[in-house]
Amino acid sequence: MREIRVMKALRPDYNKNLIYTRLGYRKNTTRLSQDERDNIDYLVELTENTLNIVAAYRIVDILNISSPYILLEDGTRLKGEKLSELLNGCHQALIMFATGGPKVIELIEKLQNEGRLSDAVVVDAAASEITDSALDVVMAHVGRNIRPLGQALTKMRFSPGYGDFDLPQQAELFRLLDAGKFGVSLNEAFMLTPEKSVFAVAGITKMKMGGTDDQKGIQKAVQQ
Amino acid sequence: MTKREFKRLFSNKIVLLDGGMGTLLQKYGMPGGVCPEKWASENPDILRKAHSGYVEAGSDIIYTFTFGANPIKLGDFGLSGETYEINKRLAVIARETARSALVAGDISSCGSLLMPFGGIEFETAVNCFKEQVRGLVAGGVDLFVIETMMDIQEARAALIAVKELCNLPVMVTMTFEGERTLMGSDPVSALVTLQSLGADAVGCNCSSGPAEMVDLIRKMKPYAKVPLIAKPNAGKPRLESGHTVFEMDADNFSSYCQILVEAGVNGIGGCCGTTPEFIRKINELRKNLKPVSVERKPYSVVCSNRKFVEIHPSLPFTVIGERLNPTGKKALKEAILNEDMDYIAEIAREQSEAGAVLLDVNAGVPGVDEKKVLPAMVEAVNNAVAAPVLLDSSDPEALEAALRIYPGRAVINSISGEKEKLEKLLPLAKKYGAMFVLLPVNDAGVPKSAEERIKIIREVYQEAKKSGFSKEDILVDGLVMTVASEQSAAIETLKVISWCSNRFRVNTTIGLSNVSFGLPAREFINTSFLMMAVSSGLSTAIMNPCNENIMQVVRASDVLLARDKNAINYIKFYSGKTKTGNENPQKKEKSLYDAIVDGDRDAARELTRQELISGKLPKDIIDTILIPAIQKVGDLYENKEYFLPQLIRGAEALESAMAVLEPEIEKDKTADPEKSGTVVIATVKGDVHDIGKNIAAMLLRNYGFNVIDLGKDVDSQVIIEAAKENNADIIALSALMTTTMGQMPRVMEMVKQEGLSCKMLVGGAVLDKNFAESFGAFYASDAYSGVKLAQQLVKK
Repeated sequence: MREIRVMKALRPDYNKNLIYTRLGYRKNTTRLSQDERDNIDYLVELTENTLNIVAAYRIVDILNISSPYILLEDGTRLKGEKLSELLNGCHQALIMFATGGPKVIELIEKLQNEGRLSDAVVVDAAASEITDSALDVVMAHVGRNIRPLGQALTKMRFSPGYGDFDLPQQAELFRLLDAGKFGVSLNEAFMLTPEKSVFAVAGITKMKMGGTDDQKGIQKAVQQ
Repeated sequence: MTKREFKRLFSNKIVLLDGGMGTLLQKYGMPGGVCPEKWASENPDILRKAHSGYVEAGSDIIYTFTFGANPIKLGDFGLSGETYEINKRLAVIARETARSALVAGDISSCGSLLMPFGGIEFETAVNCFKEQVRGLVAGGVDLFVIETMMDIQEARAALIAVKELCNLPVMVTMTFEGERTLMGSDPVSALVTLQSLGADAVGCNCSSGPAEMVDLIRKMKPYAKVPLIAKPNAGKPRLESGHTVFEMDADNFSSYCQILVEAGVNGIGGCCGTTPEFIRKINELRKNLKPVSVERKPYSVVCSNRKFVEIHPSLPFTVIGERLNPTGKKALKEAILNEDMDYIAEIAREQSEAGAVLLDVNAGVPGVDEKKVLPAMVEAVNNAVAAPVLLDSSDPEALEAALRIYPGRAVINSISGEKEKLEKLLPLAKKYGAMFVLLPVNDAGVPKSAEERIKIIREVYQEAKKSGFSKEDILVDGLVMTVASEQSAAIETLKVISWCSNRFRVNTTIGLSNVSFGLPAREFINTSFLMMAVSSGLSTAIMNPCNENIMQVVRASDVLLARDKNAINYIKFYSGKTKTGNENPQKKEKSLYDAIVDGDRDAARELTRQELISGKLPKDIIDTILIPAIQKVGDLYENKEYFLPQLIRGAEALESAMAVLEPEIEKDKTADPEKSGTVVIATVKGDVHDIGKNIAAMLLRNYGFNVIDLGKDVDSQVIIEAAKENNADIIALSALMTTTMGQMPRVMEMVKQEGLSCKMLVGGAVLDKNFAESFGAFYASDAYSGVKLAQQLVKK
């Protein structure tokens, strides 16, 4: 199998609106003063500075897909109809994870202990969103590296716990990425510690170049 | 090609680059999954046709097909040993095909991330690129291009590799995902870093189409000292029946040519999805286009890899944090000796949050290997905060080590008129493109008078000018001496600052706290001196940003000297303080009801006290003010006019009001409001996420429930025992995951076995009503609806 690649000190670009959405903000309905917005922005920035995001990924060959089962090169079998659909036509899977580290969890607990639950809930939402965005960085990085090889990533990625790609499969991804090395652990209910940790799977497909522009011209050039 | 010839090429025309090579060769039949460069070297005729297409279309510069031909990437195919040969061969093929066009040796990412993002050390990357550079030079390239870089540090490594092996011109283009590169650099920081380090042209390529690049170029242009180039993709790629198709055709793509030129582009080409036809179209259009000239901002600019800072007397005062200098700081000395970089990062964060925009970093502790520790400190600071740094050292080796790995444009603090220092440090500043603090001291020592210092300033500037520096690259140190030993010292410093600002027109700095050394009540001296220096034109000061009194002077003087335009920063800073309750809440004249609805904890506490003083009974306060207010908060939340933080803030304000009332209620038990009921609340066994449960517990308390909170990851037996012991009306359980929600029916079974009469209320992200009802529980979709449901359940 290919080696596990690690990405550290990530500061992903994230969509702040999605943090507001996680907190129940409704555009044109929720009334929010500038002071409240400033406070939330401050807490989001504090979260950003407290997170210590580490991500890891591994590209694994797909041997066979027979929905709902996906067989990987090392014999790992993942299960999920939607996941099979996502990986259909892909010759490889990108297995990835990101963790925000323990400090942000300590911050959330500290805020709660100080009676600042309203601030804790903002940090909690921001930490989830920003950590998840680290997987966008992983995908962009891998996508850029495989493009010159005529390969592309699926646009979507799936995480265990959603749909029929159930949570216990987190253990398979945990093993494939040796996530324990990065200070992450999995409890008996397949929950991750530190909490702000996420696994996901995307597919890699071989591409053929198309195009409507000067296809004929090129073919002619090659024939000359 | 010389750098001068390169500059001349761009002087009066739009230079035409080539288009996409990888996508073009894929169209020509290069299979997926192979090593592209190896395949091209084995299929030279096809490669020649691709290059010829661009030459015939009018490209002034074509790129060698060596994008991934570095030893690390070639290593993925077991070909790292062929790096030199592959690069040389591909350069020779490009050179043979180019005719009168120039050939740029193409270098891109090594495919693995550099530290701190990944495991590749900076010098490993430099050496990796050097191997590629050697092959390309041997193949006869005219210049270099470093392209599609996501990480400014990797671009720096490649640029240093080229510069250390040859004197050919180098163009560098970063790839931006939206407004930043994937590793977080904005376009101006990228430009400033690269042009300072010696790039001869800078710009962007790949990732986006031409429309998205217009804005990137517009942002760069006012800071650009070198030509700007753009090589966009043919729009966004999409999949059509297993084929990648780019959304733009040549006409559509080239229609952006004029707007890119108007934004400031000097060279245009194409990236993925573009073909010779695209380049031909641009060639037709460019004949009518001339590069625009945009007035360059006269500011000194320094940057980290993700933030740039402009310095000028007309701009807000630049605060340089002094707290990473160990002189007189025992804890910091210890941290440096122990290489405790977490401590360093913490001090950096504190200063940055307090308002420092640059940070001075000094590793000068006796017994410390500065060459090793200064770069480590700089790395720790850069990982912790976005603020650029001043490298405060006189050790050339330590400075070079830190400058080499710093992924931005740093400031050397300092270079004086001392001959030896000048000879060693100026070339360093030049090589790494650093700004520097000019210290008006020479081999004769520290001059007392302003006139003598000005003479040294002129002399050092003349030397620097010979090396290509301009006044924008310099911060003159006014040289602050303590007034305790020489009372006229401050006056001399002010004269130097005034002369620099008004006559010589160069930015200035001072080490502020030196002025009061040896005196009592130093803060008064420091603050007064800062005000005087700022009014003399001081641009920056190395000072303690955590001293709020001094920071107040900075903010106020920025308003008074019109450096903070329309007092925007001042108003933003202080209006926020007033409204968020950091000042006296009585000023706001709000009612207790409003304080709860606004979620203002401090005001709620104070106003509850006032209600008690006015003679109101605690029960009346609760019944007539607090309950209606929290119900209003609930209504606003239900109508979505409030969102979760506001709902909780209201609850917190209520709790702070109740904390004032509770001692009074204790004194008179008859005043104790009747409890709505008892709720035992917990997050189920195996589930460690408890913030939702904590919100529910707080709201239940708000609404008069007696809440027994058992915490998270609670065993079912513990829940049952607590329910029995407290005669609970309700057991409220939370679970976040599908793997833990199964605990809920188990608890219900135990409730039945024990014959308890309590109801069960459940909630959590993965639950729904059907699941809850399947074992006889009630489902709450969020904490507030849980409270409403609990109220109904205790009524039944």
